[in-house]
Amino acid sequence: MDKPIRRVAIFGLLLIFGLMAQVNYVQGSQAESLRKDPNNRRKYQDVFNSPRGQISAGGVVLVTSQPTGKDNPKYGRTYKDGPIFAPVTGFFNGYATKVEASYNSLLGGSDKRITQQRWFDTFIGKKAEGADLEMTIDPEAQRTAYRALQEKTQEGRRGGAVVLDIKTGALKVAASWPSFDPNEVAPQTGQKGTKRLNELNGRTGVIQPLVDNALSQTFPPGSSFKAVTSAVGMEQLNLTSSSTVNTGPLTLPESNKLLPNSHDHGNCGGQAPLKGAFAESCNTSFGRMALELGIQRLSDGAQPFGFGKNIKIEPDFRSAVSDVPVSIKDAQGKTIETGKDGTARSGIGQENVRATPLQMAMVAAAIANNGKIMNPYVVQKVRAKDQSELYSASPKEFGQAIKADTAEQLRDMMRAVVSEGTAKNLQGRNIAGKTGTAEQGGSIPNSRWFVGFGPIENPRYAFAVITEGPGDGATNAGPVAAAIMAQVLKK
Amino acid sequence: MSSIGEQIRAHLPYQRRNAAALALLIFAMVLTLSAFAEVGIARDGYLPPGMFIYGGGLVVMAFGAYLVQAKFASYADPLLLPLSVALNGLGLAMIYRLDLDTSDDHKVAAAAGKKLLPDAADATGQLMWTFVGIGLFVAAVLIMRDTDKTDAPLSFTPKTAQRYTYLIGLSAIILLLLPIVPGIGAQINGARVWIHLGPFSVQPGEFAKLLLVVFFAGYLVNKRQAMSLIGKKFGPISLPRARDLGPILVIWFFCLGVLFMQKDLGTALLYFGLFVSMLYIATQRVSWVMIGMGLLAVGVFVATLLPFMGHVNQRIDIWQNPKPYFDGGCLLDSGKVVPVNPDTALYKEQQALHKISPGFSACAKLGGEYSDSAQLMKGLFALGQGGVLGTGLGQGQPWQTPLSFSDFIFDSMGEELGLTGLMVLLLIYALIVQRGMKTAVAARDPFLKLFAGGVSFVLGLQVFVIVGGVTRLIPLTGLTTPFLSQGGSSLMANWILIAILVRMSHDARKPAPQAIQDEGMTQIVSTR
Repeated sequence: MDKPIRRVAIFGLLLIFGLMAQVNYVQGSQAESLRKDPNNRRKYQDVFNSPRGQISAGGVVLVTSQPTGKDNPKYGRTYKDGPIFAPVTGFFNGYATKVEASYNSLLGGSDKRITQQRWFDTFIGKKAEGADLEMTIDPEAQRTAYRALQEKTQEGRRGGAVVLDIKTGALKVAASWPSFDPNEVAPQTGQKGTKRLNELNGRTGVIQPLVDNALSQTFPPGSSFKAVTSAVGMEQLNLTSSSTVNTGPLTLPESNKLLPNSHDHGNCGGQAPLKGAFAESCNTSFGRMALELGIQRLSDGAQPFGFGKNIKIEPDFRSAVSDVPVSIKDAQGKTIETGKDGTARSGIGQENVRATPLQMAMVAAAIANNGKIMNPYVVQKVRAKDQSELYSASPKEFGQAIKADTAEQLRDMMRAVVSEGTAKNLQGRNIAGKTGTAEQGGSIPNSRWFVGFGPIENPRYAFAVITEGPGDGATNAGPVAAAIMAQVLKK
Repeated sequence: MSSIGEQIRAHLPYQRRNAAALALLIFAMVLTLSAFAEVGIARDGYLPPGMFIYGGGLVVMAFGAYLVQAKFASYADPLLLPLSVALNGLGLAMIYRLDLDTSDDHKVAAAAGKKLLPDAADATGQLMWTFVGIGLFVAAVLIMRDTDKTDAPLSFTPKTAQRYTYLIGLSAIILLLLPIVPGIGAQINGARVWIHLGPFSVQPGEFAKLLLVVFFAGYLVNKRQAMSLIGKKFGPISLPRARDLGPILVIWFFCLGVLFMQKDLGTALLYFGLFVSMLYIATQRVSWVMIGMGLLAVGVFVATLLPFMGHVNQRIDIWQNPKPYFDGGCLLDSGKVVPVNPDTALYKEQQALHKISPGFSACAKLGGEYSDSAQLMKGLFALGQGGVLGTGLGQGQPWQTPLSFSDFIFDSMGEELGLTGLMVLLLIYALIVQRGMKTAVAARDPFLKLFAGGVSFVLGLQVFVIVGGVTRLIPLTGLTTPFLSQGGSSLMANWILIAILVRMSHDARKPAPQAIQDEGMTQIVSTR
């Protein structure tokens, strides 16, 4: 009986050997991916025990970790001017959003890039310290934007502003009104913070502070979308800024109703060069242009600008999807095609066209940068505690949205908006752009836009500003943009 | 007897290794006390009082056990007791670490009158069961005297059990059946394997396992010659007569049936492996092992078709692909898995209707089978958190894993002790299995050989089934992790098992009785 016993013994030991191999596999090579598993909530909780890295912008430290003096959590999180920077920093309370989430492992110190460098610390059980992160945001401009938005937005409504560096795609401003204070939900607030977060999260209705109005919320772009319609029209219908277009009354083909113009004199009086129609924002010419293109070509033409995609800003940090829909699904899941009337209205940024301020800033960036859009990003550098560089942003091209020639003509058209068109009130502010005033139906106030670039000559930045309220874009979004750009251009 | 056993026996030292046992035992005690100290310092900031109560208590008990072993089983294998004490001590430290009633923060909060969530980890209970377990070890070593003194009053040796083969088989079945008896049976965590005895819950299956090994050994020793020699040939395979294989098959199938009724798949797998391995040891027929494996395959196939089986096919699906099942998944007939976790619309819809378990209701509405892989996944997350070196005892978050103190204690260990610690634990198990197998080879009596081989293999297999389950090597089925899991029945049964091995190793390693030569010199009478 000894031989079979020996064989069974070997088999039994092989079973345990199999376990050893499996444990090595799981804890050795799988550990990293298990720690990063989206279902794994430990990745957030563990970082209460060690100081998290700082987040700064333009040399100003905005987010810090301080010991609480208690055991759980050992470290809290403090946000300087929390509501102003919340759209980019996000919040951290175990769970995290925005930059706090994208760079969680680096901020928390658990990232391989830190642990491998500090392997000796890991070996002796010392927790690797979180890395410090520097954002591309211009803090002063961001503050200006927040206050200007607050001032110009109607009580109970929303406003948002984005400024992009057109050569790199770096986000200089991403402001939202109203906002929330990440300090209220930081780890040190305990149960109270959890309650507050649940309350913010459960909000229904217009104001949802956790959804920022710069990157994550879409609005009807109204006439500011005419920049896209013009771009597609000029490239596909062989128009130039001096081509004569019909600015007279347009009867919509399905309902036989008139598409209204804001005024029926001047350039909108019957015939004008495209540049003039653009400057005075004659709806009928762009309605006609959209009809001639058809909704499919208009929608496809908007894709290179970023429409139809949630644009990746940082890892796990994406914008909302802007869209020029060919068809939509109603509440019952039935498909509704965008008809002829809808196509004409889509051409002036109404119907179901929706865009984030980031998207419109990208449209302006394409125009300002000879058609080329750089991928937007917000984190410039990540440095370990010993100041060694762990990450540095490398600007990437998002795509060539339009031809350089088209972009040049559109720049001219945008300059005309300020010099002779709807935004004459912004003369002398060194910015150019397109106004937009979108009706949102019923008693909902207008969404008022100003989308453009600055300086007027040799532009460096593209911007988009939206505020909700009565009146038009030129007087209610234009000055906000002007104030922000004045701050951005100081440098 | 074959030559291997003869060779091993020829080289046995026939010497007492008590000093080695003591040295190893002291090492195991230091290990245990350090573990308690580390828990206290990391969790509460000072050496915990538990170190003296719990760690100290275990040390005293273990030392008592050593004295008994040194006196009454002095030739015993020196490794078995220290290895068991080390496992038991580390398990106790982990349970102490998980039992928040012992933590400083918890006491302060309780004193402040705060309402606290109860946790199921119970260090005091586990310490008590450790006492009982080691007490049983001592009692078993004392009662089971040397094999050659069977005539002594009140003597019961492992060999004596051979006389009551069928009685023991019957007791195993009765023990297995007890949890189904209304009134004393209880269902905990989905498996009906418990009985209530006064204030205690006992898992009779743990003891039935030992009895079943005795029964198989006793039966197979008597019939093995008949089974391997007489039978019908089917090509290369020869099958034994029905009258030889029949009784054992009946009892075995009966046990498996009972276990399937109780949805205790882990134990069923264990009994299956036990039966096949002991049959092989007794008869040396590899072809029968193959037949056994074939039967297992058929069994699993049948089980996937039976609805009351806890949905075996779903368990296998979860094992292969646990992610969609996290916090609730629904397996449709088409083989597609639809998540019904609390973030899904399906779940919220049912929640709005105030269903008690919305995920389950949502799945019922889709017509699929509901299951949840959160336990398994959270266990794996714990292992991932531990990495190579672990977070250190008292510094991880093992409580995030469900059943972190029982079924998933191995994952909790992996989190705080890391890969390094788990390799140590697995090596300890491997050593216990190896020492048990060596005892089997060294034993002189065929019954004892089978018995020792059977219990050692079943211990190894049990470790494989539960540890393999929680590390996703094989589909997860519930079993206790020997000596580590919280639970009295398991501890008691395992300490008895170690006592039997200690006693048998003593018998095998002690010098064979020498023939009495003391008859003096033959007188030679001078004839002169």
